[in-house]
Amino acid sequence: MKWIPNFNSSNSLRVIFVIAVFILLFLSSIAYKHNQDLNESSKLVMHTYEINIQLERLMSAIKDAETGQRGYIITRNARFLTPYIYSRDKVNTSFIRLKKLTADNPVQQQNLQNLFKLIIQRFVSFENCLKYSDPKTYDKRKLDNHMFGGRILMENIRFKVDEMNDIEKKYLSSRLKIYDAEISLSPLFSISLFLVALCFILLAYRQISRDIERLKVFNKKLLISSGLIAESEAIGKFSTWQWDLDSQKIDYSDNQFRLLGFEPNAFVPEKETFLDFVHPDDKETVSKSMEGILQNKQLPFVYYKIMLPSHEVRYFKTTGKLLTDQQGSKILLGINFDITDEHLLNIELQERNKELEKSNKELASFNHVASHDLQEPLRKIQTFISRVSDADKAVMSQSARDYIAKIEVSAKRMRVLIDDLLLFSRTNTTKKEFIKSNLNELLENAETELTEIIDEKKAVITASKLPKLSVIPYQIEQLFINLIGNSLKYSQPDIAPQITIESEKVLSADYPDLLEQDVKKFHKITFTDNGMGFDPQFKETIFVLFQRLHSKTDYPGTGIGLAICKKIVDNHKGHIIADSTLNKGSVFTVFLPD
Amino acid sequence: MQKNALYILLADDDEDDRLFFKDAFEEIKIQTNVDFVHDGMQLMDHLHDPENKLPDILFLDLNMPKKTGKECLIEIKKTERLKNIIIAIYSTSSSEEDIEDTFIQGANIYIKKPSDFNTLKKIINEVVTVNWHYHTSGLNRDNFLLRLK
Amino acid sequence: MKLFIKFDINTICSLYLKQNLEQQNINFTTLGFGEIEIADNLDADALETLKNNLSPCGFEIVENQKSVLVQKIKDAIIELVFMDDSNNYKSSVFLAEKLNHSYGYLSNVFSEVTYSSIENFIILQKIERAKQLIIINEMSLTEIAFLLNYSSVAHLSTQFKNTTGITPSAFQRIIKKRRENLK
Repeated sequence: MKWIPNFNSSNSLRVIFVIAVFILLFLSSIAYKHNQDLNESSKLVMHTYEINIQLERLMSAIKDAETGQRGYIITRNARFLTPYIYSRDKVNTSFIRLKKLTADNPVQQQNLQNLFKLIIQRFVSFENCLKYSDPKTYDKRKLDNHMFGGRILMENIRFKVDEMNDIEKKYLSSRLKIYDAEISLSPLFSISLFLVALCFILLAYRQISRDIERLKVFNKKLLISSGLIAESEAIGKFSTWQWDLDSQKIDYSDNQFRLLGFEPNAFVPEKETFLDFVHPDDKETVSKSMEGILQNKQLPFVYYKIMLPSHEVRYFKTTGKLLTDQQGSKILLGINFDITDEHLLNIELQERNKELEKSNKELASFNHVASHDLQEPLRKIQTFISRVSDADKAVMSQSARDYIAKIEVSAKRMRVLIDDLLLFSRTNTTKKEFIKSNLNELLENAETELTEIIDEKKAVITASKLPKLSVIPYQIEQLFINLIGNSLKYSQPDIAPQITIESEKVLSADYPDLLEQDVKKFHKITFTDNGMGFDPQFKETIFVLFQRLHSKTDYPGTGIGLAICKKIVDNHKGHIIADSTLNKGSVFTVFLPD
Repeated sequence: MQKNALYILLADDDEDDRLFFKDAFEEIKIQTNVDFVHDGMQLMDHLHDPENKLPDILFLDLNMPKKTGKECLIEIKKTERLKNIIIAIYSTSSSEEDIEDTFIQGANIYIKKPSDFNTLKKIINEVVTVNWHYHTSGLNRDNFLLRLK
Repeated sequence: MKLFIKFDINTICSLYLKQNLEQQNINFTTLGFGEIEIADNLDADALETLKNNLSPCGFEIVENQKSVLVQKIKDAIIELVFMDDSNNYKSSVFLAEKLNHSYGYLSNVFSEVTYSSIENFIILQKIERAKQLIIINEMSLTEIAFLLNYSSVAHLSTQFKNTTGITPSAFQRIIKKRRENLK
């Protein structure tokens, strides 16, 4: 179903989120590393300072020993020897600690070894000083030597200790420098990464909020249109249903319930229960089409009857189509129309049509039979009159002869009337077969029919080329005969009739009042004569049946001829008009559709 | 001219028309032998009877009871023995379609019943004359089509 | 299957005649114009037998001189109308030359015997030929009119209609529908 808008952002959103998460993870790992480094560096500082302390302890222990030794030497009080004795332990302890502490640094180890050597020497010197300061073994010279030596050793020790401290300090400072460098970079890096992540998240947020907006808009539109659809269903008396072929769930629109005579959502629609609503006559047809749906993927129009719960019968028309949406699920969409009103109207129309046809037929046959059957007795009358021979007439009285003459005249008139009536009825009743005909040929035939009168009146007929049209040939021929015949009949006395027939193509738009606008082009055929014309105020009435402008004694005529012309032109969905100037001539214009 | 009298058969249910016909044939110069039948069934019985001589010209009214002229026409044209008879439709109808239809069904002549006796005489005279021409001049009978008003 | 057969009446007739005469052992020579000369004289019986044999096919032994001449005139006219370059001949001249009589005399004899004129007969034959040409359906009405020496199609139509009472196109229509009926 293509009308669901594709929100592409969902994919990009996912990507953004993943990136942000990765960035965050990365950031936290950096923070962790930073933490670790801090730990390391503080450990390192502690390490260095511990070495420093130990070295100072060492120094102070030796100093203690020295002070103790000096005190003893001076006072010979054994109490002064106590720190000297303990100092040895302290030195050892410190030394052991130092050894551990400098385990990783071979240079320091070496230094330590050297220091230890010095310390040993100092203690030897101490021993010696003690030994030589003892009154028992007093030796001033050796004592002084060892004291001086001791002092020099002290200086060396001090020197060594300082050296070791320096080394440690340098070591520390270089490591600290490295850490500093690292530390100074991390924050910037982290902050920029953080900012990037923040950007991404902001982007994502913006996209999400935009999508939500769009969704809202679409939602609103959907709500409105589903509301409109429901309304239009109710107004238009149709309804829709959806059958999800995968889940076999059927959904009825609200109006579908109403059309079946229930309130919306009155029951759960099922495939099987639908047939319950169908009129027993149509149950089979409907169930067959329902089977057919699945095979054909669509439902051609099915017409059937429904019985409402109120037992009212309604006429339905249903069609459907199988739709597959983007996810591939198949939904059958069905549309029902309640065509009861149209159906009933249709039936009524059909009935009326039938009645009209019947009455038309009756009229037509009455017309035809009347004219036809009237001819017979008339013919007999005329024939028997003609049997009255001249010999017979010679022995009749004058009045009898006159009467016979008058009977003859009336009979002739009746004959003409009946002939024309018959012709009039025939223009209606004969089956209307339209054949593409060459109007020039039909005109020629018409002229041949009228040859006698044409020769008698020395008439001249000029015709321009007439088109080929789809017409009823007999009728058009009759049309021409009538029109030309009229022109000949009503010619001016002593003036040879001149009849001009012209044809041209015109657009119906040029004659909006006259012609049907649904046909674009018409052929306009004009019959112009130089006859006696007629008063133009009668130009419409002359086409009326039995309307005549002259008395029958002046000009023979039945008043049917032009009515026949009009009927013929009407049969062809055309139009005929007449115009004239008295004593100048007349123009009859025939419009025939292309 | 012909040695034998022309055998004419008229099928018409109308008494007056038969009378006119008889009188007309009596008044023309040509020697003829005229017979009448009153309706379609009688006509076909007469024609099918092998004892009866086949007419030289058959005048056939269309509006007849029991069997219409058109039905007779079709039946005659289907019968081997009868299909070469010259048939002249003699009718009151002047509808073009009817006329053409009878020609299509095989009629040779179409005559509209005139309302003047002299016209009738002229018509039958012409029919007989033309028929004789066809007879003696080796003209194709299938193409013999004549329409008289 | 539908076949269109064109046949020559003259050939058929002479063949039939020949068969009949040979059957009766009559020696004969054809003089043309439907005229045969028999070597010996036939007696009444033989003549009667011959008549009876020939009449089923419409043969008649013409025993009248004037009738013979009329028959010759008719044959000549038929020949004139049915030949292809008939336009070059004027009918009166043609007949006079062919039959060795003045046209006036021929005309009189014809009218006396047939009660109708040569002109009428010519028209009848021309229309007859027109009908045949229409049936064969290979020429248009204009071509037919030209072949038969009419000044225009209208002229042909008029004469056709005067002779038969229907127009050539109506005739065409009828023949066509007759054919369809037979199918």
